Amino acid sequence: MNGMSLRAASRRRPGLRFAALVAPGALFIVIGLMLPLLAIVVFSFWRTESYELYADWSLDNYRTLLGEAAYRTFFLRSLVTAILVTVICLVCGWPVAYFIARHGGRYRLLLVLLLAAPFFTGVILRIAALQGLLGPVGLINMGLTMVGLPPIEALMYTKLAAGLGLVYLFIPFMVTAIYLSLVNFNFELLEVAKINGARPWRAFIEITWPLNWIGTAIGMILVFIPCLANAVTPRFLGGPEATSLGMSLAGQFGETGTWALGSAMGVFLFAVSLLAIFCIAPTIRLKRSGFTGTSLT
Amino acid sequence: MRAGPATLSMSAALGLLYVFLYGPIGYVIYTSFAVDIVWPFPPSFTLQAYVDLFSSSLYSEALTNSLTLATGAAVISTLLAAAGAIGILRFRSRYRTAALLIFIAPLFVADLLIGISVLAFNARVLGLPGNLFSAMAANAIQGTAFGFLIILAQLVRYNWDMDDAAMVFGAKPLRCFFEITLPTIWPSLFGAFLISFILAFNNLEISFYTLGAIPTLPSVAWGSLRFGLGAELFALAALVNGFVFLVFAVMYLLMRLGIVRFGYRGG
Repeated sequence: MNGMSLRAASRRRPGLRFAALVAPGALFIVIGLMLPLLAIVVFSFWRTESYELYADWSLDNYRTLLGEAAYRTFFLRSLVTAILVTVICLVCGWPVAYFIARHGGRYRLLLVLLLAAPFFTGVILRIAALQGLLGPVGLINMGLTMVGLPPIEALMYTKLAAGLGLVYLFIPFMVTAIYLSLVNFNFELLEVAKINGARPWRAFIEITWPLNWIGTAIGMILVFIPCLANAVTPRFLGGPEATSLGMSLAGQFGETGTWALGSAMGVFLFAVSLLAIFCIAPTIRLKRSGFTGTSLT
Repeated sequence: MRAGPATLSMSAALGLLYVFLYGPIGYVIYTSFAVDIVWPFPPSFTLQAYVDLFSSSLYSEALTNSLTLATGAAVISTLLAAAGAIGILRFRSRYRTAALLIFIAPLFVADLLIGISVLAFNARVLGLPGNLFSAMAANAIQGTAFGFLIILAQLVRYNWDMDDAAMVFGAKPLRCFFEITLPTIWPSLFGAFLISFILAFNNLEISFYTLGAIPTLPSVAWGSLRFGLGAELFALAALVNGFVFLVFAVMYLLMRLGIVRFGYRGG
């Protein structure tokens, strides 16, 4: 087909041009993400013996996972931590995102990029630095000791320290998601509400919050899911009481080499993540989002 | 406009968040100059870490690998995300919702899970050892999703009538893209590139499982944890941060002087 007739054909059929633009990315994600996920679903029904996978189909891995008290504890710990961290990020992230979107002016992009810049320093270094601030020989506790006060034991290798580490790592995602929704929000609506006598809080609850729920929901998911599967933070900040399911999962693919059980844990975590998404997705209505006024419905 | 108490407290929240985020980074930079990195007080400074950093080949190799990985992942992500976002916003199709869901799906899979599943797939299905390209692709999956979200959020307000007008006057789609669309949307592409670059540059959990024995900055950090973090890593992080802040300072000046607006169209 020569260029002219291709153009003519595509002008008649926008579906063709849609496919040409969308297909490469969609295929890339399907092949690069979905196939590997499918692979671990398959492996989760197999068996590992001395670092080798054998295709003996059974539910043994899931039985181990759900049956052993240790794994249940790890999972519940991960779940509770993830929920708490999400709520903290939400409460602390909203005012910041609102401020940047509303009052950031021409420096908005720069202010948002400043939230992303910490990622240039690796997770491990940042966590080591947090440890340097919070740990037993850290700045805060040594400083307290020096002026004759007792150190804050709650910050030394505890679940609280691990949770603080997670907030530290993931709050930029929450702020960015809310911000991306707020930049499409028409702040003039608030003026209208004000003229009609609504107090600022009422305007927030009835206008700003519901119309930006999509950003909030995406932010919550973006914080909740990596926190649920996190392995690095509890390992370095949490001490012996903070072992998470993610740490155990990483161990199955590392030291112990039991890939089949690890795959089952991965599938389980993925299922819980999907459950969280299915809980929150119905609450999102694109028509009642900041994206109103466009054809994206 | 006078700032009310609500605005003031929100700006305080922003300030506190920056302090929280940059406290540990300041600590890293401070410690990189310290004689004793475990307990760097009272201050006593040395440049030994920087001397060691430049005399060791491991760190420059890791930095090169991290940069290659991040650049590759960011280029792939930006191209795929931009094409996807434009396709979904501009052309009607009954597969639109499905495509939208596929593009944001990677956001909902944890790094660790992407890492181990790509590892399992490469090792047991394809029989591939860890390599830079599969790490690049694995990082680009996530980058594509983040880039897509960023571009989509900025592009929903874009007025496609301008493009249609150009087409009516006979511009070919490519020319139309480069002369009409790109000049308006480049800040969002830039944002998508930057975010996917940053995420891939220091990604630990995806890269760790897909790279095998190839060292990148996070895997070197991970490996050296067993013997305690090397002061060289602190020095390297300090240099990277210095460079990033330099870039931000230049951006700030450009915006301040009004040379580049980065998509801001207000007064």
